[in-house]
Amino acid sequence: MARRRDRLVLAALLTPVTLFLGVFFLVPLLTIAVFSFLTPGLYGGVEWAFYHWNYGRIFGWADGIMEVFEPVYLRILGRSLSFAAVTVLLCLILCYPVAFWVSRLPERWRLVFLFLITLPFFSSLIVRLYAWLLILKPSGLLNEMLLGIGLIGAPLEILYTPTAVVLGMVYVMIPFMFLPLFAAVDNLDRSLIEASYDLGATRFQTFRKVILPQTLPGIVGGSVIVFIPSVGNFIVPDVLGGAKGLMAGNLVEQQFLSARNWPFGAALSMLIMSVVLIVLVTFVTRLRPKEG
Amino acid sequence: MTGLLEIRGARRSFATPEGGRIAALDGVDLDVGANEFVTLLGPSGCGKTTLLRSISGFEALDAGVIRLDGRDIGALPPFRRPVNTVFQSYALFGHMSVARNVGYALEVGGVARAERERAVAEALDKVGLAGFGARRPSQLSGGQRQRVALARAIIGRPRILLLDEPLSALDRNLRQQMQLELKTLQHNLGIAFVFVTHDQEEALTMSDRIVVMRAGRIEQQGSPRDIFRHPRTRFVAEFIGETNLFDVTVDRIEGEVAIGRTAEGLELRLPGAGLTVGRRATAVLRPADFRLAEAGLPVTITRSVYLGQDLNLFAAPAPGGPEIRVTARDAADAPEVGARVHLAYDAAAVHLLEGA
Amino acid sequence: MRNPLGWLLLTLFSLLFFAFIYAPLAVIIGYSFNANPINMMIWDGFTLDWYRGLFGFADRTADPNSRALYVESTDQLIAALKNSLIVAAVTTSVSTVLGTATAIALARYRFRLRGFYRGFLLLPMMMPDIVLGIGLLIFFVTLGMKLSLLTIIIGHCTFLTSYVFIIVQARIAGIDPALEEASADLGASEWVTLRKVLLPQLAPGIVGGALLAFVISMDDLVITYFIAGTDSTTLPVFIFGMIRRGVKPEINAIATLLILASVLIAALGLWLRSRKIDK
Repeated sequence: MARRRDRLVLAALLTPVTLFLGVFFLVPLLTIAVFSFLTPGLYGGVEWAFYHWNYGRIFGWADGIMEVFEPVYLRILGRSLSFAAVTVLLCLILCYPVAFWVSRLPERWRLVFLFLITLPFFSSLIVRLYAWLLILKPSGLLNEMLLGIGLIGAPLEILYTPTAVVLGMVYVMIPFMFLPLFAAVDNLDRSLIEASYDLGATRFQTFRKVILPQTLPGIVGGSVIVFIPSVGNFIVPDVLGGAKGLMAGNLVEQQFLSARNWPFGAALSMLIMSVVLIVLVTFVTRLRPKEG
Repeated sequence: MTGLLEIRGARRSFATPEGGRIAALDGVDLDVGANEFVTLLGPSGCGKTTLLRSISGFEALDAGVIRLDGRDIGALPPFRRPVNTVFQSYALFGHMSVARNVGYALEVGGVARAERERAVAEALDKVGLAGFGARRPSQLSGGQRQRVALARAIIGRPRILLLDEPLSALDRNLRQQMQLELKTLQHNLGIAFVFVTHDQEEALTMSDRIVVMRAGRIEQQGSPRDIFRHPRTRFVAEFIGETNLFDVTVDRIEGEVAIGRTAEGLELRLPGAGLTVGRRATAVLRPADFRLAEAGLPVTITRSVYLGQDLNLFAAPAPGGPEIRVTARDAADAPEVGARVHLAYDAAAVHLLEGA
Repeated sequence: MRNPLGWLLLTLFSLLFFAFIYAPLAVIIGYSFNANPINMMIWDGFTLDWYRGLFGFADRTADPNSRALYVESTDQLIAALKNSLIVAAVTTSVSTVLGTATAIALARYRFRLRGFYRGFLLLPMMMPDIVLGIGLLIFFVTLGMKLSLLTIIIGHCTFLTSYVFIIVQARIAGIDPALEEASADLGASEWVTLRKVLLPQLAPGIVGGALLAFVISMDDLVITYFIAGTDSTTLPVFIFGMIRRGVKPEINAIATLLILASVLIAALGLWLRSRKIDK
């Protein structure tokens, strides 16, 4: 009967998005993969010849003539991973108690504070980072204030340090952590907590045995959503980080916009992409809460 | 009975989550006559809803034909079939007024505004909702929504009105009232109704014909009285109304009456026609078939459930053995739990299942 | 059961948390009115000079002592804003159509590749901006496409389709499929059902998704940064460039205006959501 008709409608609905994402999303990703194995041209272009020393430069099998192994690339990649992990952890520590607090508020205030949490999400990322630039500068607000009340004798050097980078990332990622956490905490069945107390569990036992497992999906979801954009971030380290705050994203950007070694940049971003895919696949296959 | 709808050899199977296939329709033949009220009755998963949805066009049959007025409609999409549905959830459009909901079929059918408004007013009047046109579905009660759904489905004068458990969301009183109204409406409109339900009481009250389904097949069909009094299988007997079933072996024949004996040694008088000694049969006795009497089956009352006018009694012929359900009038002399009483019944009224 | 001291500490912690979120924004807004041109950390009186400078009202030649000397060019700023608006408008339309169509297809039809599409549609959103940005850059350059507003629009549509898809999908999950069946049952073809029943029912989700797409498109920096041509700078890229060249008071004024715009958009979103279309 109408099965053929259904198939036509389905095709009409899906063909545009398939073509669009196929051409402008999948193909570009494949292009990165291809470029990461091409030979960098002398003046910024590429030569269409197979070349594995892009990865060699990173992992240590460079030929030592044209390409030199630099452990700094692996170090920066490791730093990106640890910055992202610390960002996730700090977001979690900051957001978890607040999610509880907001979920226990009277309805009116709940809505107000939920709105306040989502508001920064709507305001410009670059503006929010710029604000931290103003605050953390040697002559910035924080130092002026600390100097003013005599807490420190000389301006602190926070800007252009890893601390500033992590602080900036935590700041911009907070809404992404908060919302999944809040959804989990708000869905918490309160009678379960009461049942736990009723059965003689202490506060800590109740938290560990009831609350934590129940909110785990939100914790895992929020962590994945925060971790992924943090690993490849280059805007935050660009604005707030100095040489010591450089992350993998900055390396990629340099290869494309200043060093003009596209194949090497492509190889670096393949690494970022594989980290992300590993995290995603682990999440989907292992950590995701079972549906239905 | 003029053949309005004719279904032959309908088959439809679905994939199960475990990877197998389950037959929702396993070779169903069904006829619906003009102006007939047919009820598809069965437990959930019996295929009644699939059958209804293949008439409306939301399910495609794997095999079989569906003819309406002699025309094969199996290949038509739902919107080209001259049948309308009242959905279980009512499926009222929340973003439209009641009047626009009711007039929807005419609106999409290109009927002029003035004509549409007249027809909407008439349809709302028919279901007792005159003057409700400007409201939103959200402002109506459950019963009123039900009526809107009904008005919306009949406005286009379908050849058949399909009703998918439409009363299941209503409370008991309203449900009984709507049952009567539906029956009256069907009579006044003069169109065939195919009604799906798992509620046997609903089926018995409204239908001209009940089609009992089980596991994708039609188990039995017939008039409500026929189905109730003469169930053909154990399944039908147990599904329709409360029932006592006795598996007996014919012990002896005494004139018109055969005496059957159960495994527990209980003796029952059965209509003797066609029975021979040694034959096994299943006897069906409804709780209301028994009377409390001076003589008859000696039993002990083990439980008594108060139902208002009636009592639901559980009576055991032997201590610890199977219980017989009996309906009795609640009166001052009603037996207490523990009382020894006798149950009488009319041997001619005992129904025997075929091939048990 | 509730421990009053614990609750008090939790409240204190939470209020500090919100102060942490809002303090930086307050700092910018405050500084944007500070008259001190040399060190904006030192309050030197109230001024609107930076705002006037933005819109080109402060005349640099007539008044040699004018402080509004920092914005490279008001014209550039306006052009960047215009580019951003064009990109966001076109992107929002395209990604809303694509995302909505996909959400409808996945919610209402059963087919073999459904699971694949579900994951596939999330990928552009989960892919780090920088990877998508350089992928598109290599792709466009290899194809010989000139970097322009068009390339930015294409780039934005890839990941914004995902966002719209997620929002609309959440909405469609709450809509009874029987509504569309009822419409078909009453004689409406697929197209009529889409127009008269499904889209009106989906409207809050579609508007929400479109709003989100618009905001993210207006704010996108990383992807745009890689695929914007020299003459197709958007507002965030423009501001990024200004910040890289140093902190200047006019940036505070632009930032304050952007914060104001985002408050308005967020309030609009909240208002749309609270308006109960159905029920």
